[in-house]
Amino acid sequence: MAIDARLLAGLAAEIRRGAVIVTGTNGKGTTCRMLSAAMRASGLQPILNAEGSNQVTGLVTTLLAHASRSGRLPDDDRDIGLFEVDEGSLPEILPQVSPAAVVFTNIFRDQMDRYIELDYLTRRWKQCLRSLPAGTTLVLNADDPRLAYLASELDNPRIFYGLADIEHRRSAVDCTSDFPRCPRCTGELGYSCVFYAHLGHWECRHCGLARPQPQVYAAKIGLAGSASSRIQVVTPTSEPVLEIPLPGLYNAYNAVAATAAATACQLPSIALPAVENVTAGFFRMERVTIGGRDVHLTLAKNPNGYTEVLRTLLGDGRPKHMLLALNDRASEQQPDVSWIWDIDFESLRGLVPAAVLSGNRAIDLAVRLKYAGWMGAAAADLAIEPDPVRGLNLALERTPAGQPLWVVSTYQVLWQLRDWLCRQGLVSALWDS
Amino acid sequence: MAARKLAIGYLYPEAMSGYGDRGNLASIMRRCEWRGIATEVRELRLGDPVNPDEVDLFVIGDGGEFHQRLIATDLADVKGPAIREAVSQGSALLAVGAGYELLGRFYQPCRGVELPGASLFDTWTIQQGADLTAASCTITEARADRVIGDLVVQWGDDLLVGFENHSSRTYLGLTACALGHVVVGQGNNGDGLEGVRLGGAIGTYLRGPCLPRNPALTDFLIRTALLRRYADAELAALPDGLEHTARDTAVRRLSAVKRAAVAAS
Repeated sequence: MAIDARLLAGLAAEIRRGAVIVTGTNGKGTTCRMLSAAMRASGLQPILNAEGSNQVTGLVTTLLAHASRSGRLPDDDRDIGLFEVDEGSLPEILPQVSPAAVVFTNIFRDQMDRYIELDYLTRRWKQCLRSLPAGTTLVLNADDPRLAYLASELDNPRIFYGLADIEHRRSAVDCTSDFPRCPRCTGELGYSCVFYAHLGHWECRHCGLARPQPQVYAAKIGLAGSASSRIQVVTPTSEPVLEIPLPGLYNAYNAVAATAAATACQLPSIALPAVENVTAGFFRMERVTIGGRDVHLTLAKNPNGYTEVLRTLLGDGRPKHMLLALNDRASEQQPDVSWIWDIDFESLRGLVPAAVLSGNRAIDLAVRLKYAGWMGAAAADLAIEPDPVRGLNLALERTPAGQPLWVVSTYQVLWQLRDWLCRQGLVSALWDS
Repeated sequence: MAARKLAIGYLYPEAMSGYGDRGNLASIMRRCEWRGIATEVRELRLGDPVNPDEVDLFVIGDGGEFHQRLIATDLADVKGPAIREAVSQGSALLAVGAGYELLGRFYQPCRGVELPGASLFDTWTIQQGADLTAASCTITEARADRVIGDLVVQWGDDLLVGFENHSSRTYLGLTACALGHVVVGQGNNGDGLEGVRLGGAIGTYLRGPCLPRNPALTDFLIRTALLRRYADAELAALPDGLEHTARDTAVRRLSAVKRAAVAAS
């Protein structure tokens, strides 16, 4: 670990344009891919770490892959580092990388058996930010109360981003909220507008501290079902309209985060529309064709992500056939799946006519859906098949011809499916893309 | 049979529902609904008073160290007397994790002054291991003294399954009765006992959340709450095949893990 850290520091220092770090619970990967498109459109060559290689060793591996045989990075002034960093690993990575900008997407409950608790994680972030060079820009989500005033005692430049189009607000904070308190006085927060969970336009009822005005924001958001969205972004220098091939409010957040980061990196405004060139990452509504039928693979691994994915998929009110899967990470003694009880399945009952439940905790998911009312009057036709490949085939058999199948799952099942799809020749292996 | 109705007091719904705790509430409400028992949920937040005559079943969930500090005094001073009174009148109560800890006599964090408890249970809790509030505490240090894993408890003739994740050790006073015996996991403090039971009030480290996979425990709480209000506490049997399968699957899996560990050692 210590050797890796030193290697990382040495290699990162050789990147001519420095590096940008993107961290947070959800949206890191997509934000990185959007930003990398804007960087390429600016004539830069982003060195981007692969999905999931977001801890110290993964970054070292990424950089070594770019290095020459002597172990040095090529001296190319178009090179810029773009690193998705695991939220728990930020304190180890930040001091080694000395980035030009750090982008925080959001913070939600995730892997509590690994990260202990949110306030602890935020405190660790604050602590490690103190080691930042004075010139590093902090790119912060103004709508997330835990992030908006992160390390506010530092004089580093800050760019806030957020959503302004209140057309998409929900009636109230929902059950996937982590109910942050005021970052200044720990008082209770009130919201004039909630987009989802605890993201929105907030203000402390006690001391009056309020969401900072973002310099980069989505002024108008058009959501086109489960396929794409149209986002009018305002930055200090331009107002690009982005046609994003990704659905949902959470991708609107990713788009403004990427635009804000591009602004922090002083990319030319002409490069911003390139954010639309983002492609779906692995398991981000990734589409594969099996026997002439579209199958969409989507990762969901925490209450907020799962809920927003389901809301996005089912938001058009058209019933969809699904494979819902859940696994724990028993091999690492992390058997906690309690988070499925914070997914808002209740509000979505009746929209899924049939689902196959899969993964090694499929039965826990079945119990969850039973108590969410999915087996009552508005019953979904549920089948349980813990084996992912058999589950997929069963779900395909049960999906009427011409209709797509939507797979929503935690990582392990998706990797097992991808592995099987690779062997069937239906998708390319990971290293090809 | 006359219509029956239960009032559920949900303590600190925002601060203390950090680990899927809404699943416990859902379990209680659905199992009442399926039997034609009406429920009414009263959310009891910071500062809200509690009328002991008006709550038949209290639920308090789990929260982090910040939330524990946030609610401790309110729970001890504002709500504690009424909760003790209600339980002595026969109300049911389920307290999980940090909620369980704060219903004891006191909670001693690894640094700083102790937090007051509501003294419903004759228990006390000592936090061990790393100080999460220390700026330099790394994740490895934070996890070192934590008990993280499955927890299986023998409760009468039943097995309860769940998950535990805590750095605190809870100790029972002379007048306290444990909820059950640990089969897999650590429980209160490693002495083989888990949780506490006082009449119809239960404190436990079982998360998961604990009620959905343990319907017998849910029904115990509902029956206790009904008895307080009605002469008739009869509960119709429900088809619990799925819940039992989930529980038995967990027990089977753990037995296999345990056997493998024994074989490896």
